[in-house]
Amino acid sequence: MSITHEREEELIKAIKQRFPADVKDATVLRQSRIDVTVAPERIVDIAVFLRDKLGFDHPSGVSAVDYNREARFEIVYHLCSVQNKNQRDIVIDLKESVPRNIARAPSLVSVWPGVENYERESLEMFGLRFDGHPHPEKLFLNDNWNGPPPLRKEVRFPTD
Amino acid sequence: MSAQKSAQSDDPVELLADSLNVWVGKLSDIVHKVIDTEPIRNVINWARMYSLWPVNITTACCSAEFGAASGARHDLERFGVLAYGSLRQSDLIIIEGTITKKMAKRLRTIYDQMMLPRYVIAMGDCAISGGLFHDSYSIVNGAHEFLPVDVFVPGCPPRPEALEQGIIMLQEKIRKSKVYPEG
Amino acid sequence: MTTTDKPSQTTELQSMSPTEPGAQTMTLSVGPQHSGSGHMRLIVELDGDIIINAMPDPGYVHRGIEKIIELRNIIRSIPVIERPSIIDASNLNHAWVKAIEELQGVEPPARGQYLRCLLNEMNRIMSHLYWLSIYGVFLGHTTMFMWPLGDRELFIDLAERLTGARITYSYLVPGGVRRDLPQGFAEEAIKRTIYFEKRLDEYEKIFFENPLFTSRAKGIGTLSPERAIALGSTGPTLRGSGIDRDLRKDEPYAAYSELDFKVHTRPDGDSYSRAMVHMDEMRESSQLIRQILKRLPSGPVRRKAPIVVPRGEAYARVESARGECSFYMIGEGGDKPYRARYITGSYRNMAAIPEVLKGVRLADMPTSWWSIDYWPVEADR
Repeated sequence: MSITHEREEELIKAIKQRFPADVKDATVLRQSRIDVTVAPERIVDIAVFLRDKLGFDHPSGVSAVDYNREARFEIVYHLCSVQNKNQRDIVIDLKESVPRNIARAPSLVSVWPGVENYERESLEMFGLRFDGHPHPEKLFLNDNWNGPPPLRKEVRFPTD
Repeated sequence: MSAQKSAQSDDPVELLADSLNVWVGKLSDIVHKVIDTEPIRNVINWARMYSLWPVNITTACCSAEFGAASGARHDLERFGVLAYGSLRQSDLIIIEGTITKKMAKRLRTIYDQMMLPRYVIAMGDCAISGGLFHDSYSIVNGAHEFLPVDVFVPGCPPRPEALEQGIIMLQEKIRKSKVYPEG
Repeated sequence: MTTTDKPSQTTELQSMSPTEPGAQTMTLSVGPQHSGSGHMRLIVELDGDIIINAMPDPGYVHRGIEKIIELRNIIRSIPVIERPSIIDASNLNHAWVKAIEELQGVEPPARGQYLRCLLNEMNRIMSHLYWLSIYGVFLGHTTMFMWPLGDRELFIDLAERLTGARITYSYLVPGGVRRDLPQGFAEEAIKRTIYFEKRLDEYEKIFFENPLFTSRAKGIGTLSPERAIALGSTGPTLRGSGIDRDLRKDEPYAAYSELDFKVHTRPDGDSYSRAMVHMDEMRESSQLIRQILKRLPSGPVRRKAPIVVPRGEAYARVESARGECSFYMIGEGGDKPYRARYITGSYRNMAAIPEVLKGVRLADMPTSWWSIDYWPVEADR
């Protein structure tokens, strides 16, 4: 693509400058989509930096992905900005990897209160536990399903 | 139980009450038979079939077409169908789409709390067999698994016309039914 | 509370008096069998008749769609994608095909893009009209139940002529749309939108200027802009708090960069503002439909796209009737996605429900709650 990604590169530079050791990987996926992989131990600090310094004021969602062949879960915070008008189209995918047998990560509810429901959903769908979450309970599956977390790859259903 | 009781007691008042109960039971049988004769039954069934009030419960997305059917163009009220909040006064459950396990428990509770006679229409493929979501982890594959269904209305979602036909079919069923359902 | 005062019998009794604020609260379960709840339950804690806390209890319509779409190929998944909000099917479908196209690198032809926008805007109107009719039910305003549902049929007929289905279209496919405009569609559509805008004026007179509604909506159920952003609210809920966030402008997709339209906001953040944003958007969409039909370019409507999800990641989002609908898709090169995360507008707005309901009287609960336009099926997926 001939379009240059100046704004994206600048954001990556700012994050890397502030957290040189904790950012494992940072790439521009395509226009206005940035991938940043960080260490789970420092994710709260990085989140606070993204919110206060770079203006990413809300998450538009939190995803969890089960990479069972690599024995890890990936938690992805899709961060967006509304107040900063010239980066309203940018989405930063803030990623962290946790080993499958630990399945534990710090909660970001203290940074963005809006992630509460998404983290509860990751808890019930993948069995991920979030430290510091105010209501670590089931959201949708309460009364619906008592088996293993259904979105894990090893859980199969007759539809397969 | 009553035989044991009558053998034990020699209180004349209780004996009288027992014999009266037997008589009243017979009387109610007689009344049931009289009411179930052709002219009276027709009047009662006529009243029932044109005032089918569904409970205000929506299970999934077919509620959009139920809404369209009760709206201005299709107007379900001309069949006497008016969604109602209180389940004690309503006599019909229209299951609008997918039934999750969580909702199935509530639906059964609602059905048990309703007065006799009560009817069930399963609207949409999901309420019939699970439809698009068949065998998903959180749904029940069809309403017949936990409720006696009177009419199935297929479609995903069924058009309002199809729901209207389902209601007419239920009315025909009521027209032919007995006044006192078994059980 | 300090305990330095002498703890006499009388003060203890007084503190337990039911007339004292906060001394006695009651927990009320609203739904799922309730005319003011929809397919969900709200656990409401009351002090007198003032709501001090509200907890949504979703999951009554959770159907495991994220699992199902991992198991089916991308074309067979389209109807499943639409089902969470069949009153707004085209917009959700758009997010899905956009994610696939981003991974495939396929760009639909211009006419296809315009037709996508056409159905999206028709769907936005239909969805808002359905919302308005249910609002009428919640407020006991039967006219406002009947009118919008009747006028919704205008657009349902149009959509049926365009796609063949009343509300579940599966019209958007990777690479474009399924079929071209039928003959005579444009003239009919323009006629209907003009009629519809006249009807909207009547709605305003009978409902939105009616004290029956304004007294129950103005200044009630407020959501401040700061809280709205922090909670991640989106769509009319966010715009009702005065923030001009609209992905059609902020991240133009399909043909929206070539169309003229305004983003409507209201500053107050109360139930009335959120309701009026819906009204303004219906007018804007109606105007957009005419504009799209006038500017419609000629050419093919669909480009060939393979049924394959290439290796990689994409995060695609569109502005649906209830806010941002996004897909986070991870492809492995097969015909199914490895993982497709599905986040809808209602799901995002769920976090705002407790905030809006706090401090509201129980009698005003339906007005405040439904002004968020929370469609439980869409939230539960």
